[in-house]
Amino acid sequence: MTDQDREIARLHRRRPRSAFVRWSAAGSLGLVAVAWADPALWGAEILSPRRLENLRRFLGEIVPYPLQGQHFDGAVAFRWAMDILRDKGWEALEVTLALSVAAIVLAAGTALVLALAAARTLANPEPYVPSPRPAGPVARWWWRSGVTGSRAALIVIRSLPEYVWAFLLLAILGPSPWAIVLALALHNLGILGRLNAEVIEDLDPQPLAALRGLGASRTQLAVTGIFPLALPRFLLYFFYRWETCVREATVLGMLGVSSLGYWIVDARARNHYDTLVFLVLLGAVLVLLGDIVSAVARAMIRRS
Amino acid sequence: MAADASTPSGRELDTEPRHNPGGQRSVVLLSIAAAGLWAFVTLGLDPRDLVPGAGGLTVARELFGHALAPAWTYESPDLPPGIRPLPIQALAAAWHTVTLAAAATGLSVAVGLLLACAASTAPWSEDPWAHRRASGWIRALVFGCVRLLIAGMRSVHELLWAVLLLAAVGLEPLSAVVAIAIPHGGILAKIFAEILDEAPRDAALALHAAGASPSRVFLFGLLPRALPDMCAYAAYRFECALRSSAVLGFFGFPTLGFFIAASFENLYYGELWTYLYTLCALVALADAWSGALRRRLVG
Repeated sequence: MTDQDREIARLHRRRPRSAFVRWSAAGSLGLVAVAWADPALWGAEILSPRRLENLRRFLGEIVPYPLQGQHFDGAVAFRWAMDILRDKGWEALEVTLALSVAAIVLAAGTALVLALAAARTLANPEPYVPSPRPAGPVARWWWRSGVTGSRAALIVIRSLPEYVWAFLLLAILGPSPWAIVLALALHNLGILGRLNAEVIEDLDPQPLAALRGLGASRTQLAVTGIFPLALPRFLLYFFYRWETCVREATVLGMLGVSSLGYWIVDARARNHYDTLVFLVLLGAVLVLLGDIVSAVARAMIRRS
Repeated sequence: MAADASTPSGRELDTEPRHNPGGQRSVVLLSIAAAGLWAFVTLGLDPRDLVPGAGGLTVARELFGHALAPAWTYESPDLPPGIRPLPIQALAAAWHTVTLAAAATGLSVAVGLLLACAASTAPWSEDPWAHRRASGWIRALVFGCVRLLIAGMRSVHELLWAVLLLAAVGLEPLSAVVAIAIPHGGILAKIFAEILDEAPRDAALALHAAGASPSRVFLFGLLPRALPDMCAYAAYRFECALRSSAVLGFFGFPTLGFFIAASFENLYYGELWTYLYTLCALVALADAWSGALRRRLVG
């Protein structure tokens, strides 16, 4: 063994290691292996003639109806597409977009307030500068349970998927867009509230300590110090979550509000597979446009 | 990468004074407010509609009345013989949710990694091995096609993939896995490619200078530098897959969503909360795990 080998062995022994990461890696690989080995995953008739026949019929029927069994004709296909757009396409796109925007605006507005309550640096008895009169144990307990409570609330509302929220809210509110908007807003409030609270905790404390030292109240700290400092990051997260809102809004209509998802389920129920695929593609275009708008906005915010 | 991850760390934004502090911000904020107003008007959202009708009130009272009293035994009067006790049933549903999500995540990570290698500019953009490159237009063609494929995969929601697959082949457990794995594979490919592009090139350049072949430079120089970020993001994706897998239950797959829908439709609100709390616990657990992993991997 040369010196070089020994040095390499020594460096190898000193590499950073973490038992947690190793167990996580082993556990994840094991779980994936168990999941794929599960015989329940491989249904008995996955390649049965019936399934294949079904697939063949499906592939035949996604061709636009007037073109089935015909030679391809661009003008006919275009007229077919415009008919769908006029019937329901444009309206569905508009409603889907409006659902996502209404939900994210509602979520972001509420998250501003909740994030303040969940940020440990602000929601404590003596934010940023020690007070001349130290807080008593009761005040400490009070503030700490406030933070814990708001964080727990954020966890609970974000751990239920939008679809489950929408399902429950539709039963209560009836078939109104509110149910979808609130469902989307609640889940995203949970996420934005957590992210924004972390942004506030990571802010440079010096300007805020100066403000506090001048006698600013917590509200004044928030309005004059925290919001201006944290706004760019808040906006980054806002646009990032809006992207996912557009994605989710395309499906939540399935539960019965006339957005894209509603017409998609409707087309499926009527076995109009050509319309079904067309509307799915329409949704994909909307999602991609949302991605582009969000990416441009985020680049602008990073530069400003 | 940072803005797409669940918990980006580090401060990319400087807080230096600007020439026109807040100038563009007010434009952005005003446009957001205007867009919000447009959305509320388009949807005809009226705050008065937030008060549920008589039927809705009954449902709400029943629903929230059981929030603190999840059921431990079945509420149904006539049970089929040999049925599992409710807590076991909830755990079994949770296990199905986890295995479905794990199978989908495994598949999507494999697909994402493959596509990311093709979509990333890193392995061939820096010029140390420029002279060995395939001719430019082939590269551009492959690159463009892969990017388009990725965009198509991720822009269709997993539930829409599920609807398509249900229409195409029917209710197979595998179609649920594929429905989640397609969009997640696309998202992972996009993020993995960004991570590869941004990974430090030190080791790759050193290996190249030592005469390693491009595949080895990639495998031993570039990939290990990008791996921690990739693992952290894949763990976050698993958490998302868990939610999707639960929701696919609404389409008839035996995950938590199926039991949530069934108990709600049968008005067994106690059971409903049992399943809802199981889902919350499952997601919160995955969230804590992926957060802890991210802190150790990315810091």
